Amino acid sequence: MRSEILKVRNIGISAHIDAGKTTLTERILFYTKRIHTIHDVKGKDGIGATMDSMELERERGITIASAATYCEWRDHEINIIDTPGHVDFTIEVERSLRVLDGAILVLCSVGGVQSQSITVDQQMKRYKVPCIAFINKCDRSGANPSRVIQQLREKLGHNAVAMQIPIGLEAKLAGVVDLVKMKAVYFDGENGETIRIEAIPENLMAEAARQREILIDSAAMFSDELTEAALEDRVTEELLTAAVRKATLTREFTPVFMGSAYKNKGVQPLLDAVTDLLPCPADVENQALDMDNQEAPVRLVPDITKPVVALAFKLEDGQYGQLTYIRVYQGNLAKGDTIINVRTQKKVKIGRLARMHADQMEEITRISAGFIGALFGIDCASGDTFVSPGLSLTMTSMYVPMPVISLAIVPEDHKAEINMSKALNRFTKEDPTFKAYVDEETNETIISGMGELHLEVYVERMRREYKAGVTTGMPRVAYRETITQMAEFNYIHKKQTGGSGQYGRVAGYMEPTGEADFIFESKVTGGAIPTQFIPACEKGFRNCLAKGPKLQFPVTGVKVVINDGASHAVDSSDMAFQAAARGAFLEGYAKAKPVIQEPIMKVVVETPTEFQGPVMGSLNQRRGIIVGSQDEGAMCVIETQVPLAEMFGYSTVLRSLTQGKAQFTMEFFNYKTVPVSITEEIIRKAQEEKKHVA
Amino acid sequence: MLKKDLILRNPLRLLGNEQETILSPGSFGAILARAGVGKTSLMVQLALNSLLSNRNVLHISMNDPVKKISLWYEEVFRHIAEKYQLVQMDQLWETILPHRFIMTFKVEGFSVPKLEERLTDLTEQGIFFPNMIIIDGLPFTESARELLLDLKQLALKHALHAWFSVRTHRHQTVETDADGVPSEFQNVADLFEVLVGLQPEGEEIHVRVLKGGRTERNHGGLQLDPATMLIMDIADKAAAV
Repeated sequence: MRSEILKVRNIGISAHIDAGKTTLTERILFYTKRIHTIHDVKGKDGIGATMDSMELERERGITIASAATYCEWRDHEINIIDTPGHVDFTIEVERSLRVLDGAILVLCSVGGVQSQSITVDQQMKRYKVPCIAFINKCDRSGANPSRVIQQLREKLGHNAVAMQIPIGLEAKLAGVVDLVKMKAVYFDGENGETIRIEAIPENLMAEAARQREILIDSAAMFSDELTEAALEDRVTEELLTAAVRKATLTREFTPVFMGSAYKNKGVQPLLDAVTDLLPCPADVENQALDMDNQEAPVRLVPDITKPVVALAFKLEDGQYGQLTYIRVYQGNLAKGDTIINVRTQKKVKIGRLARMHADQMEEITRISAGFIGALFGIDCASGDTFVSPGLSLTMTSMYVPMPVISLAIVPEDHKAEINMSKALNRFTKEDPTFKAYVDEETNETIISGMGELHLEVYVERMRREYKAGVTTGMPRVAYRETITQMAEFNYIHKKQTGGSGQYGRVAGYMEPTGEADFIFESKVTGGAIPTQFIPACEKGFRNCLAKGPKLQFPVTGVKVVINDGASHAVDSSDMAFQAAARGAFLEGYAKAKPVIQEPIMKVVVETPTEFQGPVMGSLNQRRGIIVGSQDEGAMCVIETQVPLAEMFGYSTVLRSLTQGKAQFTMEFFNYKTVPVSITEEIIRKAQEEKKHVA
Repeated sequence: MLKKDLILRNPLRLLGNEQETILSPGSFGAILARAGVGKTSLMVQLALNSLLSNRNVLHISMNDPVKKISLWYEEVFRHIAEKYQLVQMDQLWETILPHRFIMTFKVEGFSVPKLEERLTDLTEQGIFFPNMIIIDGLPFTESARELLLDLKQLALKHALHAWFSVRTHRHQTVETDADGVPSEFQNVADLFEVLVGLQPEGEEIHVRVLKGGRTERNHGGLQLDPATMLIMDIADKAAAV
């Protein structure tokens, strides 16, 4: 591994579904001589792209798990993490962005900025990751890179500026004009591996000059030197590149490149851009939190002589045993070193270290600050921080969205049941948005996740990787209960019939709150409830939240204030006040006009304009509120808010309505009160289920 | 606070007649001002006024994406809620949201037949029936008259009224007619029943009815509060002080 981190680039490639990320990565690996043959993503030659190491990925033509690999270009080490585009796998993208220093945002030259590109861009913003854009598929009919740049500006608010212009488009795509060098670049050879530099074609000179002016003007905003040079007409390549790099690192500038990975055009200049314009680990400021100082932020320095601070961002239980992908931010990890898992406070001795190339492993002796590698046989969870002994720092925990959909699964036979457990154990460790538990009442195993596809993929993986066949029940929506008005309670819990008794009175009120799931406040004065029993009261109230009185759904958005009560010198105890609190909760809750809430999803459908009517109708029928429709020429984008309960199987409906030409994305928006008629339906179903279980 | 209270307290009613709406079905209104003065904000307030009266609003934008328009509404609604100390703001918001539909078009891609097609998609399936249309960002070039005439037909056919934003330029506001209507707008002014101008004067933004509306127009004076861009009655402002 390179010890000069100035020449290291840790990058991710993110985009909307089918923008061409995996094909691009495949080409990058080929040109950096990491692999020696190219295979198409949808395996026409039966093999499938190198990065999609899971069978399912190859089959469906989608990327599921993020795979890490490294390559070398112009004396730089580039670590690439290929990330999924589908919103159901957002956690993988989140994780990668947490540990990377820069990213390539891949856009389709026809589709442009699509809904998932927006989600991915927001993620990059959250983790302040500088990016360069690559407009792919310029060989496609309808390719329009300048429209895509416009969309980057308008829809994502990027200061996007072209660094190239295409030479020909669609079937006539021949190469690109580099606006910095002012030369035409062509890609010869069977796989575009030979670069040929020539003068810019006559018919493109004027346009190239115009675009170069725009580039210089934009970059000059970030460099006084460049401004002066521009005025004196002595702009050099180095000056221009330096200014663009400076602005890119602060996310004030997004350089845009273009080409067609599939047709082997434009990839090598993109690699040049990665080394010229994206940050090395030393360019990025990383912070940890000091646990000894109320989580005050502490700046980490990518210095190998400093104590170790590292973050485990991905776990894999594969053919080599448990593999933990780790990013080192400070210090140096070597075989035999001892480090501490900050969450468990357990010491860990480092065994074998490796760096990964998709699913092939290469052993190494150390992982230094700024690098990404993998550790063997370490028991930990994704998101754990590892530090040198004596250090009390933790990396900020990664943002993890709550699951919104669950499914009951039943193993087909006894053997499947055992294998299913193993599978679930592994999957839940690897993916914090995927949860599995056994429902106490029905004894069913329930899995929950971020969307139908998310769960479908795990069910399929259980079948293939663990030979655990399961049948799935109806997906269940994560309903919640809450109250809508203030209600008072005044409850006495009394059991004083002889022997040791119980006594406790709790009085106060509950009211709805939007600030948190649950707030407890004690305004008890004069010892009406002895101070030592107040925590028991709180516990009693809290225990009622897991299963709401109305329909056993979790209760949220409730503020409980106790302001009076009574106790008995002998019979009052923690248990008595817990029971009193429970009774008080039930009393208040019944008067507080409780309602059921359901998750509402933001659903964005992109469809050819001719299907706009039927698509809107289909969403309207699903109790969707259409927020608006955006006309994009041949396509239109419809934004709606639809209850999750109505969205099951929508992908099939949409496909048939639009001849398969439309796409949709769905992500959690908020919780809203369920209409009365639906509430009645939910109550009826719940009662039926209870009868069934009984 | 009831919806009705909000409407009655809203100074916007001062723009109109005794009926609740300022414009009758088939009629057009325009808000004229230079860039950045407050046209979109005022139109959103007009829209919210209608939404609170349970009337459906179709908001058409030539410039901004759906998300941005949506944000405008959230911002303005939030300011109104704070000003009138609304208690259950979220609940009120949920009830008015289904009455609003946003459509965005590229300027070059906009035409009345296209709009009619989109409207039909909505009405035929019973999804949405607008009572009021807002058209923000339509350029008023020489060919605008024909487009406006077609829109008039559409408005009459569907019994709806429409508000337009008209961006004026510095040189235009100098050359105005006796009513203060900029010269370049005069060739289409006859198609509009109500014209409202936003005129910045120092730190104040005055709302002046240039045509139509209340006969004792510009009584007392209406302004936009520069902090929130909400319309306010000068009389209320003085009382508050």
